[in-house]
Amino acid sequence: MNVDLELVQRVQAGDKKAFDVLIMKYQQRIVHVITGFVHDPVEALDVAQEAFIKAYRALPNFRGDSAFYTWLYRIAINTAKNYLTARSRRPPASDVDAMDATNYYDAPELKEFETPETRMMSDDLEQGIHEAIQALPEDTATAIKLREFEGMSYEEIAEVMECPIGTVRSRIFRAREAIELQIKEIMGEGEQQ
Amino acid sequence: MTMNHNELLSALVDSELQGSELDQALQILAADELATAQFQRYQQTTDVLKGYGERGLSHNLASRISLALESEPVYSEQTTKHKAEVITLPTPFWKQMTGLAVAASLGALAVVGVMTQPQNDLLTNTPMAAIDAPAEMITVAQTGERWTVNEPEIENRLNSYLLDHNEQTGSSGVFSYARVVSYGAE
Repeated sequence: MNVDLELVQRVQAGDKKAFDVLIMKYQQRIVHVITGFVHDPVEALDVAQEAFIKAYRALPNFRGDSAFYTWLYRIAINTAKNYLTARSRRPPASDVDAMDATNYYDAPELKEFETPETRMMSDDLEQGIHEAIQALPEDTATAIKLREFEGMSYEEIAEVMECPIGTVRSRIFRAREAIELQIKEIMGEGEQQ
Repeated sequence: MTMNHNELLSALVDSELQGSELDQALQILAADELATAQFQRYQQTTDVLKGYGERGLSHNLASRISLALESEPVYSEQTTKHKAEVITLPTPFWKQMTGLAVAASLGALAVVGVMTQPQNDLLTNTPMAAIDAPAEMITVAQTGERWTVNEPEIENRLNSYLLDHNEQTGSSGVFSYARVVSYGAE
């Protein structure tokens, strides 16, 4: 079964902590989407929080007809639009289609709201991460690239790399650990920990 | 927190855990704040790789939301089950109910239709049709303007069909085609 759906079912069955995992999984993406509407980062966080609370309240009605993220994405967009309307600010005429929700990071309407500072930070991180990936052993680098850039499942990666799924899992884990070290160097050890 | 735990958390970021492993990962996250922080770091690395904004922007958001959700109710299987029962009744049941409803409506319409039809007409019109129609039809047949039926057997059969038709349409309220034929022939 899909992990998100299983987490949703656990919340529906009374495991509130399972919702925390869903928040951690999608908070960054939801904030990013909302920033496309509400440009102020502090306001965007407030709207994101409201969106997650609305999602939690609506969760008993979630039947899994669509992916959890697509459902959450719609809630976030509506919350952002309502927020702007309530403050007499006009919401954007168009937004990213819900069907493209998983690929929206390429949407130009979201890119244009980046500040020079955030852009620079992102560029540094991106560069650092790519350098970390370049420095990995070939098998490990291939596994993480297939996962992060090609969006392949562990099963698909195992098929491509002709190795067991367990091996794929540990290669991706090792890659993340290496990237983590690189990021710590870029961000400094004091980074929100 | 062990390396094995971290590997589980890494797999959870990729939604690649199921069953007991997912249970285990959730238990680790619930019990160990360091594990939660580690999970968030893995998740953020993935987010950065995919271009979802800068790292650390919403790092405290999860705790903020969790805090805000503390006052929200904890759902139970009963709550969800009740809603599920209301929303997802089995389709065959609805199909059966719809079928029954349509059948009942049609039945009721038929009964009302028969009851509102003057009963005397059914009794009295039939003999009248039996008397009138053949006369007209015989005329039609005899004049030969429409049908050139010289065979008495066929002629009788056609007339009996027309009589039957007249009776049926008379009782159901449908305009009789046979009379049109008769008028046109005369």
